Parts: sequence; structure tokens; C-alpha cells
Amino acid sequence: MIGLAVTLVLFPLAGWSLGRRSIGEAFLFGAGLTGSVLFIAGVLHVPLVIALVLIGAWSVGCGVWELRRRRRGMPSDPPLPTPHSPLPTILMCIPLLALTFVAAITPLNDFDGRAFWVLKAKEIAREHAIDGPSFKAVTLDPRKNHYPILIPLDGAVILGIAHDFDDRQLRWFYLGVLAALALLVRERIGRLVSPSAGAWCAALLVWIPQFSVEAEGGALSAYNDLAIAAFAAGAFFELAEEVAKSAAPKRRDFGAIRFGLWLAFLILTKSEGLPFAIVFLAVGAFVFRKRIASSAIVAGIAAVALFIWRTRIPPGDEEDIIRLLPTIPQKLHNVRAALAAFPRHMLLMPHWGLFWIAVIIAAVLALRTDRRNATLAISVVAAMLAVYVLVYVATAWVVSDLIAVTADRLLMHVIAPSLFLLAIATRASILESRTVD
Amino acid sequence: MSGRWLTRIAAALLFISLAASTLPRLIALVNDARSMLPLPYEARRERQMGPWYVSIEKLRRDLRPNEPVALITSRRDIDSAVFANYYLFPIHTRLYLGRNAYRNAAPDPARPAVLVAVNPSHAERTAYDILRDRDLAAGRRIVAEPELSAPMTAFVLPLAASLDGPPPGTFVIEATLVNPNPVPAEVRMTFWPKGLTRTIVIAARSTKTYYDLVYQLYGIMNAGWMRVDSSQPLRAAFYFANRGRGDATLMPNAVADATRIAPAPLHRDTKLFVINPKDSRANAILNGESIPLDPHAFLSRPIETLPAVSGNVYAFVTTRELNGKTDFLWPQ
Repeated sequence: MIGLAVTLVLFPLAGWSLGRRSIGEAFLFGAGLTGSVLFIAGVLHVPLVIALVLIGAWSVGCGVWELRRRRRGMPSDPPLPTPHSPLPTILMCIPLLALTFVAAITPLNDFDGRAFWVLKAKEIAREHAIDGPSFKAVTLDPRKNHYPILIPLDGAVILGIAHDFDDRQLRWFYLGVLAALALLVRERIGRLVSPSAGAWCAALLVWIPQFSVEAEGGALSAYNDLAIAAFAAGAFFELAEEVAKSAAPKRRDFGAIRFGLWLAFLILTKSEGLPFAIVFLAVGAFVFRKRIASSAIVAGIAAVALFIWRTRIPPGDEEDIIRLLPTIPQKLHNVRAALAAFPRHMLLMPHWGLFWIAVIIAAVLALRTDRRNATLAISVVAAMLAVYVLVYVATAWVVSDLIAVTADRLLMHVIAPSLFLLAIATRASILESRTVD
Repeated sequence: MSGRWLTRIAAALLFISLAASTLPRLIALVNDARSMLPLPYEARRERQMGPWYVSIEKLRRDLRPNEPVALITSRRDIDSAVFANYYLFPIHTRLYLGRNAYRNAAPDPARPAVLVAVNPSHAERTAYDILRDRDLAAGRRIVAEPELSAPMTAFVLPLAASLDGPPPGTFVIEATLVNPNPVPAEVRMTFWPKGLTRTIVIAARSTKTYYDLVYQLYGIMNAGWMRVDSSQPLRAAFYFANRGRGDATLMPNAVADATRIAPAPLHRDTKLFVINPKDSRANAILNGESIPLDPHAFLSRPIETLPAVSGNVYAFVTTRELNGKTDFLWPQ
């Protein structure tokens, strides 16, 4: 129960400590912030326990203050949208409640979660360091030593506070990420498109098998793809908000900094996070213009910290994609399989239902009616999938094996722009029908 | 039909396509969780992972938390070892792909002394010699058609060993004992200088074979010599085999003292062995120096050149060729 309490209290408070945001966003922002601050503290050799105490004190203090301030209602802040759509809300709650019941009872039983991510959380909790003996030991263990460790750091916080290395303490965290992502989607699409669209997109999200019930990568596993999807959603919605604001009267805010923070979380969560952040920066440069520099600085700090940390520990058995890139000319035979990977997996009904078919149709519709937003979403999805295709071509693995175990999880990463496309397409068709009426 | 209705129908279709896959699995997960609800948490893991997890729980009870553990597994079973590492936490573990990887890591001071063998069916605390024996038993003897001696009732095997040399050296005695008689033979085999005795019975007109005579009879990894006494004349063949290299040398079945070793080229790691097979003290004379030997003594010392040996003892020399093969210089 301590794991549940820490998950439900610490991370949202940490998220609220840097300003007003919805509960879902606060949870994700808090998880990202906690992990990132601890990571940078670890790189700077600040004792993690001290860093955690400071984060805890700051989060509780500022978070509670922000909550009280919100309760009093600051006249300068617009109210957060609270869409009341009973049907999609009920539909969203059903799988979340069922998954909560399952997570409370069944032990973790996935592969990567136990082999890498939770194991690292346990090691960090035991050694109070991110470059302790477990990370420095050169062994034959397939431990992916250089994988970023933001989520294991969050896990270590939970395990450390619970004084328990059992993974049952962490079950809530991964489920919390899915719930928070759903709430973030509901709130942001609700604000950017319509409350009803937001509510329906959140409901669809939690019913996607790959997110809810899939053993490898879903909310009942301890994979990090859900977190990547959530942080990418945070970054994407900052972009979309900025696009929306550009049409409205100018109001100074910290959107670019928040965008940079989401990118930092991406970089520190998974190896795919760095190319994802670069893609976001490239797209974001057209949106934030000069202000993208502040996003790049924040993301750059995370990237530099990651590289410094990696120089201090021996590599594991993970692939160094940068080194593999020059080998692409010798691996052109992988191109066909790589190009077919995502279309083939998008059509896997047990994982995705008709979701991707709907997204593709929605993209075409949205391009006709809301070109700017549609272009934004499509460019993020297409660029990221192109990067992944490139990785498939360059890989030293048997490409078909790699695709089989990763393609569905990589598709999870671009869920937010895909749902956004669905939302703007439905808005467009409803507006069209109103015009006809 | 208006765009609003088309959108609703499309959204409903999309939702149904997702729910059609998610709902049955969600129900199955909930039912599975409900059935686990009465069980304690560890019992739920036992149900998920079966006997493998039960063996991990036993290990957790048996192992000391602060003592590092070597997880020995094969490349094929590496996942099991990774999960064993996970569930044995906070015990420090190191993974070794096979017994030889552990053996090769002998110079590493961080090599754990406690061994756990892991495979997909279970994990168990074990000892190096047990793993070695399993490997040897799973493999094939080097000599498929042994060269049997003439029938004898009592003789001495001048070298009996079950030892590891520098990798990949794995020294064993491959033995074949044939009872050609119409009655069973009772064979007493005594391993000296430890004085360990085992008696085996070889049925009439049958054969007993050993891939690692010393370990199979006495359960130890050691070197010495062996006395064989049989109630019936036996035909036998004992090979000093290096399973790591795949070579084997037939050994003589000695019946008398012998010290006159014919000159032959000496290579590296050359050793003189002197044994006293008698029940009384004996004297070995090496290059004029008298060395008293206790009853059943087994003496070995490195040499550079072939010494002059005499006395009421049995002496022989081993020398290792550059390719690792062991040559024996037996007395005449």
C-alpha cells in the first residue's frame, strides 16, 4: 500500500510544484521531474537520498500550495475544462478499474520489466546511486546497462520509501502512467478540440489492447513504452497548444520550457527518446520559432547528463545505433522488411483493432479541414516511424525478430498525435455536417 | 445520413473493434486475479511460474543475503538465470554461461564461491564437482573401444585422478571392467593415499564402465593411485583421459615395483610420480638421495630432467606436449 500511496501522492504533488495542471498531467510531469532531477543529482554525485528528501519537501510544499491556490480560484487562471460526457467516462473507467483490480492481485510477469527496468529500480534503491556496483560490474548479464533510467529512478523512489524491494510496490506506478495518459489526452484534446472528443479519445486509448491488456508493453507490464507514449503526448500537446495559441492573442508563458522538459523526460526514459526529442525539436522549431532554443537547452542538459553517465559505466549488450548507421548500405536487404513492419503491425487486430485504419482515414480528412494541426500530428508520427524504420534497417539483430518484438510497442509512442488526428477529423466532419444543415 | 451520424457510427465501429479484443482478455485477467485472491502473494507467483519459482523461494531461504552467488546456466537458458537474479535480489549474483565459464574465471577474486545452477525447470544450489559430473555424464567417453588387459585378480592403477587442469583440461579415468567368468566378481577398489574403499559387484559375463572412475566411485575430485582386488579374474582397461582436449592414454595395470624409466623427450610441466603400493614403509632413491615413503604414499614433484630412480617403489613421469597432450613415461 505504501507503493500506492507514494504513486498517488508524491508524483502528482511534484507535478503541481511547477504550476497548475490537471491530475493526469501532474502525475506524468511529476514522475518525469522526479526521475530527471534524481538522475542529474546522481550524475553530479549528489547523494540520492538527500536529493529525494529535497524533492519530497519541495513537491509537498509547492504542490499543496498550488492545490490550495487552485481551490481558492485564482481569477487570472482560466478554469480547466471538465467535460461531462457520461458514456465515454464510464467506458474509460471500466478497463482502468479492472486493471487496478488485476494489478493489485497478480504479480508482475513480463520480460523486459523484470529483466531490466524493475531490476534497475531495485539496484538503485539498494545502492542509492545510479553508477553503483551493479552498473559498474562487467558481467555477462544481458542487462542493457546504458539504457536511460528515469523510470527505474521513479521506481527506486517508491521502493526506497516503502523499504521493500518487491515489485508489487511498483504495480500501481505503471497503471498510473496509463491512467494519467488517458486523463492527459482527455483534458488536452478536450481543450484543443472539444470536451466530447477528449473524453472519447481517452476512452478509446484505454481500450486499445496494446495499452491495456498486452502482456509485453501494456499497463500490467513494467515496460517503459507506456511512459514514452505519455511523455511524447505531453510534448505533443505543448506543440498543439502553441499552435492553438498562435491564433489567439499573445500571452507570455513557459510553453517552450515545458516542451523542453517533456523532451528531457523522453531522453532519460528510453533510448528511443533521444531521436524522438530531436524529431520534436525539429517540428517544434516551426511552432515555437526562436523560443525553441530554451526547449533545446533543457533537452540538451538531459542529453549531456545521459552521455556523461554512460561514460562512467561499461556498456551492456544494447545496440549502438549511431555506430550501426554507417552499415546501412550493407543492409539494404532489410529495407523491405523494415518498411513493411509498421503497416503490418498496424493491421494486427488483436493489438490495435481498427485503430490505425481509423487514424489513416482521419489523417486524410483532417488534412482537408484543419491543415495546420493535421500537418503537425502527421509530421510527428511520420518522422518518428521513419526513424524507427531506419533503426530496423541498421540493426545487427535479425530484423524480422526485432520487428516482431518491438513494432507494436514503438507504435504506442505515437498514440497522442494519432488520437489528436482522430479528434480533429471528427470535429471537421461534425462542423461540415453543421454547415450542410 | 449526416456527418455527425457517420462519425458516430465510425467511432462505434472503432470502439467495438478494440473492445472485441480487449474485453475477453480483460475478463480473463480479472477471473485469473479473482482466483488468485485467496492466495498469499508468493503463492500467486508460484501459480504463475510453477515449480521454478518454488525452487527460487527455497534458494532465498537457504542462501545468505550477503553472500554473492554464481548463477550457472547455458546460453539457451539465459532468461531463466536473468529472472533468478531478479527474484534472488538483494543477493548479488553473477552470471556464468556454463561450468567452464565459471572455471575460467578462477583468477577473478570477485568470483562467487556459492554456485546455483539454473534452468527453465528449476534453480538449485550446487557444487562445482556436481556440475562437472553432469557435464561429463552428458558427454561421451573418449575411448569407444578400450584395449582390455589379460585377466587379473589384483593390480595397481598407478594414477587415478579426477581433476581439472588449465582450461580446457578435464582429467578423468575412463575405466572398463569386464567379468568374463560365469560367476559374479566382487571387486574391491581402494583409492590411495586417502584410503577410500568401494566394493562393486560385476555380474557374470558383464561389463562395468566409468566415465570418471574416481568421482563416480568416491564422489571426490582428487589424484592418487588405486589398488584393485577382485574375487574373479577381470579384464580391464583404464585410460587417463583429458575430456577437455579429447585425448586418452592407456595406463598399465601394475603388479610389481618398477622404477627404470626409459629416456624420452621431456616437454613442459614434467612431473615425477612415485608411489609406494605396499602396506609397509619404502625408500625411493632419486639421483642418489634417499626419500622415505609411508605405506601407500603418493609423491609427485616437478622435474627438469629425467632422474635416476630406484628402490622398492613404482615410479613414472608425466610431461605435457606443447599442444597440451599429456605423455606418460612408464617404468620398464
